[in-house]
Amino acid sequence: MNILLVEDDVELAHSMADHFRELGYSVNHCADGASGFSSACEADYQVIILDRMLPRLDGLTFVRKLRQRAVTTPVIYLTTMSGIDDRVQGLEAGGDDYLVKPFAFAELLARVRVLSRRPGNAHESTVRLAWGSIELDLLKRSVVRAGKNIDLLPQEFRLLEYFVRNPDRVLTRRMLLENVWGIHFDPQTSVVESHISRLRGKVNHGFEFDVIQTVRGTGYKFLAPN
Amino acid sequence: MRRIRILKTESFRSAALFATMFLILSWALLGVVYWIVNDTQTSALVGAIDADISTIKNGYREKGLSEAVEVVQQRLGSGDYAGTDLPGGYILLEDQANGRLAGNLRPLGLKLGLFSFPAPRHARHESKASVLGRGVYIADGVYLFVGRDTGQIVSTRVRILKAFAWIEGVSIVIAGLAGIFFSVQFMRRIDAITRTCQAIIAGRFNDRIPMRGSGDELDSLSIAINNMLDRIATLLDNLRQVSSDVAHDLRTPLTHLRNRLEDARQKSVTSDDYAAVVARAIEDTDHLLVIFAALLRISQIESGSRLAAFSPLSLTELLERIYEMYRPVAEDEHHVLVQDIQRDVHIRGDAELLTQLFSNLIENAIRHTQPGTRIRIGLTAEGGIAVASIEDNGPGIPPAEHDKIFRRFYRLTSSRSTPGNGLGLALAAAIVNLHNAKIDLSDARPGLRFQTSFERLP
Repeated sequence: MNILLVEDDVELAHSMADHFRELGYSVNHCADGASGFSSACEADYQVIILDRMLPRLDGLTFVRKLRQRAVTTPVIYLTTMSGIDDRVQGLEAGGDDYLVKPFAFAELLARVRVLSRRPGNAHESTVRLAWGSIELDLLKRSVVRAGKNIDLLPQEFRLLEYFVRNPDRVLTRRMLLENVWGIHFDPQTSVVESHISRLRGKVNHGFEFDVIQTVRGTGYKFLAPN
Repeated sequence: MRRIRILKTESFRSAALFATMFLILSWALLGVVYWIVNDTQTSALVGAIDADISTIKNGYREKGLSEAVEVVQQRLGSGDYAGTDLPGGYILLEDQANGRLAGNLRPLGLKLGLFSFPAPRHARHESKASVLGRGVYIADGVYLFVGRDTGQIVSTRVRILKAFAWIEGVSIVIAGLAGIFFSVQFMRRIDAITRTCQAIIAGRFNDRIPMRGSGDELDSLSIAINNMLDRIATLLDNLRQVSSDVAHDLRTPLTHLRNRLEDARQKSVTSDDYAAVVARAIEDTDHLLVIFAALLRISQIESGSRLAAFSPLSLTELLERIYEMYRPVAEDEHHVLVQDIQRDVHIRGDAELLTQLFSNLIENAIRHTQPGTRIRIGLTAEGGIAVASIEDNGPGIPPAEHDKIFRRFYRLTSSRSTPGNGLGLALAAAIVNLHNAKIDLSDARPGLRFQTSFERLP
């Protein structure tokens, strides 16, 4: 997988690039906005990791120009600008995700993996989602696992839907908070853990295989039930 | 120095300007009056002189020279010419051959036409007046001069000049005094403003400009400046508070982090030991980052920039979502979360911030109460007010602490052992203020009740 990393902090960029390369990714690093932009237009990348404050071409303009040229490569911002408005601006400019510095590499990796998956490879349609033996009806809001109906509360359903849309990938606690609950702050209680444990209980009830695997210190992974 | 400053003030300058304008106008007026009076009196005098000339001329024509002499004597004896100690007028009848025939003047050299000359010196009186008169020939060789003393015209002129001089003198004095008076008044108030400014520069931030209470433009300026100073003082206090908080409350976790790393360098032996220390160090760093994020968020909220993103929203749905979100959490912590949320209550606000507000309040209730505590999310609408409340039946907090808990980094002694950074309620208060809402804390007997009141949308 090809990643374009546009970041003027060379130390941080090298550390990130090393991490990604160890995992088998190929990383192209540009230290300023303009060279990053021409690289993004020329080569084919699965994901662009973009600093928001860059010399020669700032991150927001970078993405706007990219989208004007109909380049749809997913973009994740890395930024020290942590305000709500900053995030909204970044996403409105055409970015796909937003990560505030400093961050754990695992968090970035999880987000890059989810972004690079698009468009999805799960069996998706507008009303039905399926992964292994689990099927979701988005209209009726019903869940069936191997022919067995599972009753879920609305928030549990949304959590499962997010898992099914992003199977086999680590989803961090923060990604779940952002995408399932729309929360961009750090709750001081175990919101995610409590909901996961209930969902796990309901989805696995009567089955041997636990579809939600806990990845220690990082998040959760949805596995295909046999 | 002060005297020079007075002369430089705007009020003194305008007083001086108006006084000068007044003087110029009154000089013009003086000129006109002077000219009119002079002209009128001179014409009257010349008219009287010409009348006498024609009387004498007629006498000569009708009855000859002796008659003319007779008329001259007569006229000189009359009141117009005689005067009490000075002659009021002068007549000279002269024959070219025989010299003066009659009159009270020495020969003038047969000068013709209207002319004037200094009045002859009188023995008893030093007259400064002059004589205005006309010299004519009433017949061949017979010269007549009739003139009048211009003393009256001169004295009228002098009276007019004196009157003007008085008026102008008094005006200048009044204008000067008024200018100085207003300048002193004005300067006193400007000095008061200057003194306040200097006091503030010197560090006495609580000084304010005194008001005169007259409601004039200087008072409104002073009010505006005082309000500005109040606002700056609030911001400054805030900033000072934050920076000292940051300095102090970030130092503690940083100290811990440093100690831990130092210990690791000295005591750790196995790579497992190191791994454990690194894991703790990362945790400490994350805790610091949470504090930073919370502080930044508070200051961002207090700056008011989020107001632009306000939109109508259903407080009912927002609280129901929060209830659904925290019910399992409360359950896992062995608390009971219940709700009594009224339907269709809408307000204007920022959904993300409001979610954080109520999350903070609920999380506080969960984290700072014993297992078994009941937490209730309530929403009612009373008239135009939407009241959302988070209430628990836990131990509550002493009333003396009620005001303090919204301060940054303030932590109750009883909660110091539980994790937290003391910023949750400060953030809540900032969000409430941004929404122009009210947050009240009360004793739920037993327990604690947070009540937030918003303006309800119809």
